[in-house]
Amino acid sequence: MAPKESWIAIGCEGSANKLGIGVILHTPTRTTILSNLRHTFVSPPGTGFLPKDTAAHHRSHFVSLAGRALAEANVSPADVDCVCFTQGPGMGAPLTSVAVAARALSLLWGKPLVGVNHCVGHIEMGREITGADNPVVLYVSGGNSQVIAYAEQRYRIFGETLDIAVGNCLDRFARTLRISNDPAPGYNIEQLAKKGTRLVELPYAVKGMDCSFSGILASADALAAQMFAGKADFTPEDLCFSLQETVYAMLVEITERAMAHVGSSQVLVVGGVGSNERLQQMMGEMARERGGSVFATDERFCIDNGIMIAHAGLRAFRCGYTTPIEESTCTQRFRTDEVFVEWRD
Amino acid sequence: MALETVTLDHLPASQTVHIAYFRNVRNAAFLHSQLLARNPEFEYGFVDASVIVSRLHLLSAVFRAATTASTNSLITPNVHSEIIVSLSPSNNISEAYRRYGISPSTKDLLVVKISGPDGLSHDDIAKHLSQHVEGDQLPVTDENIAPATDNSKVAKYYKLNGLSWLDAIKDQPKKRKEVETLVVGTLAVRGI
Amino acid sequence: MAAAAVAEAASEPPQQHQFPLPAVLEYPASTPPYLITQGAEGRLYKSTYLQPDIPCALKYRPPKPWRHPILDQRLTKHRILSEAKVLAKCRRDGLRVPAMYAMDEAAGWMMLEWVHGAPVRVRVNERLGDRKEGIDKDEGLKELMRRIGLAVGKMHKIGIVHGDLTTSNMILSPSAESVTDGQLDGTPGSLEGEIVIIDLGLASYSTTDEDRAVDLYVLERAFTSTHPRAESIFDELLKGYKEAYKQSNLALKRLEDVRMRGRKRSMLG
Repeated sequence: MAPKESWIAIGCEGSANKLGIGVILHTPTRTTILSNLRHTFVSPPGTGFLPKDTAAHHRSHFVSLAGRALAEANVSPADVDCVCFTQGPGMGAPLTSVAVAARALSLLWGKPLVGVNHCVGHIEMGREITGADNPVVLYVSGGNSQVIAYAEQRYRIFGETLDIAVGNCLDRFARTLRISNDPAPGYNIEQLAKKGTRLVELPYAVKGMDCSFSGILASADALAAQMFAGKADFTPEDLCFSLQETVYAMLVEITERAMAHVGSSQVLVVGGVGSNERLQQMMGEMARERGGSVFATDERFCIDNGIMIAHAGLRAFRCGYTTPIEESTCTQRFRTDEVFVEWRD
Repeated sequence: MALETVTLDHLPASQTVHIAYFRNVRNAAFLHSQLLARNPEFEYGFVDASVIVSRLHLLSAVFRAATTASTNSLITPNVHSEIIVSLSPSNNISEAYRRYGISPSTKDLLVVKISGPDGLSHDDIAKHLSQHVEGDQLPVTDENIAPATDNSKVAKYYKLNGLSWLDAIKDQPKKRKEVETLVVGTLAVRGI
Repeated sequence: MAAAAVAEAASEPPQQHQFPLPAVLEYPASTPPYLITQGAEGRLYKSTYLQPDIPCALKYRPPKPWRHPILDQRLTKHRILSEAKVLAKCRRDGLRVPAMYAMDEAAGWMMLEWVHGAPVRVRVNERLGDRKEGIDKDEGLKELMRRIGLAVGKMHKIGIVHGDLTTSNMILSPSAESVTDGQLDGTPGSLEGEIVIIDLGLASYSTTDEDRAVDLYVLERAFTSTHPRAESIFDELLKGYKEAYKQSNLALKRLEDVRMRGRKRSMLG
């Protein structure tokens, strides 16, 4: 029998408020995205997404989204080599609801299950799309803020937030300002920030390659309260501008420090916050000054999606990795550096 | 004995630094009065050698004063008075003059002259000093400065008392080196 | 003409921002500033202080054009002043750090003692080579870890936290007695010498156990990600730490909490 020349995987992502399902095709030389669909749970202004409601959202949309993903990919269950799903990190209830669905597909179709670390999914997809070979990775989302570099079969965490994630800081400030969560709170902060002109002083909290955002959020919230009380001469736009300038300067700084530390000049920005244009611009200027460049993906891949889970899962699967059903429970705090990265040198 | 012209790294080439050292000065009161009278012919950095621990100590103050002058941020009338303040750990100008500058009772004197491109030549300065400073001129070396240093005054002015690790050093040259390092560091961070 | 100029510009490699250098970098010197590294903090040059026989490190923090200019100025000035203050304090309290020579915080530079030696990272990696086993029985390496711990413990004891402890920010500086044939930087693979903590640009005064614990946590993570195969001997460092800093039990207890927070931090924020 001739060696296998192509592999197809379906990936199911639901670690936060996005349900994503994608189908990917690997050949020895190419990676092709056959479909990449997403359905987002949007909560009303001033509120965050609660685990229970988010899980209900994922449950109610999974079947139709999976069906559409297969149809769009023009793939039948028999063509699929494995069912990949996000095993963590993320919110417990949404993770579990998607894992249950993925297990069902696996049993129904008789295909092996592959559990994927959400962050590794982002990194592998980012590398694939951008062609960045061995970059320092800044992973910034609503749940995570980490500076990562690859060494000896693992994605090692060089720096991270010591309290809340940067995306969480932005999302919560959006709630403070009672601005819309549609399409995403961070996106709306970015639009307001573009109209801001004045830099209001906020704490700047970097410790080595780690940073902290809760003090900044508390300060920004206090300033917003002053503003709502009519006791301030700055606007919501100025606050959004100042918040972005401060937190992105911090992220660029810790990334630069990691680059200097590991001697790399490439940066890959992944995760939802990575789609912010100001962050990309600042990061680009920094990387250029170091003789390198920044790699970023657009919102199809930056924001949580199923295709990245399919892609990273399929890479592991092709090295012989599968997840037996009894070991397919989700881990809310699944660390990036727990994954043995067999597929890289 | 010759006036020494020193080239200090990282200063504009247009600034030339001259240094001299006199022991057993007999006319300190006269020199001090010329300074008070702001006689332009006596615009020198006159430093009381008893508060100086080494050549590097002196030159560090000269460097700071010259750097400050080149960025137009002097806090005293000219670069020579700035040398005196640059020896002080604090920004208190009159205290600095009193502690580090010449006084009528000064015995040992270090002299600094910074001349610009169209300023006095080495020979002009050497001649003027030998005419007006009554004392025994010696080269500006650590060996020659050491006997003039009043260690208790240095310790007091630079707040070196009560540093047990420093007191514990028995090797005198090593201790002197540590004191020099502490003093130079103190000058560098003056005012912050 | 214009087209030729454009073509020429385009063929040049990506260039650094050409800011006017501060005057101190352009005035004559017996050893003109020689660029050693472009770290995240800024550029490190080797040069001389006042006279040819005093080598110095000249640290220059150029403006970072991607930062808002007000924020950039604030951070640059603040960091130079704070580094200078911390260095002066460490020196006074007898901790071996580079001596301060001169600075101009508005222009963004400082001159420090040039510490001979090699970064601990380099010496540790030379010692590790491609060994995979027996690292936890390497007494020389374990002893070095304890000496690192002693230096960090002493720093914490005098009330300073570093803010960016890594094995790149410590120099293993050969003792004067051991230097032969002018090998001021020591010999590859040798673990002899004094630990000199450098790069205190993010350091601050603090006597809280939380800050000390975070400092240790940063070091632990930097160590285990830089030298993954030597992870097992990190405890030796903590032994040295306890030895130098008698009241370390609270900071070490706090380190446990910080580790838990790091590893098990809620993903919900």
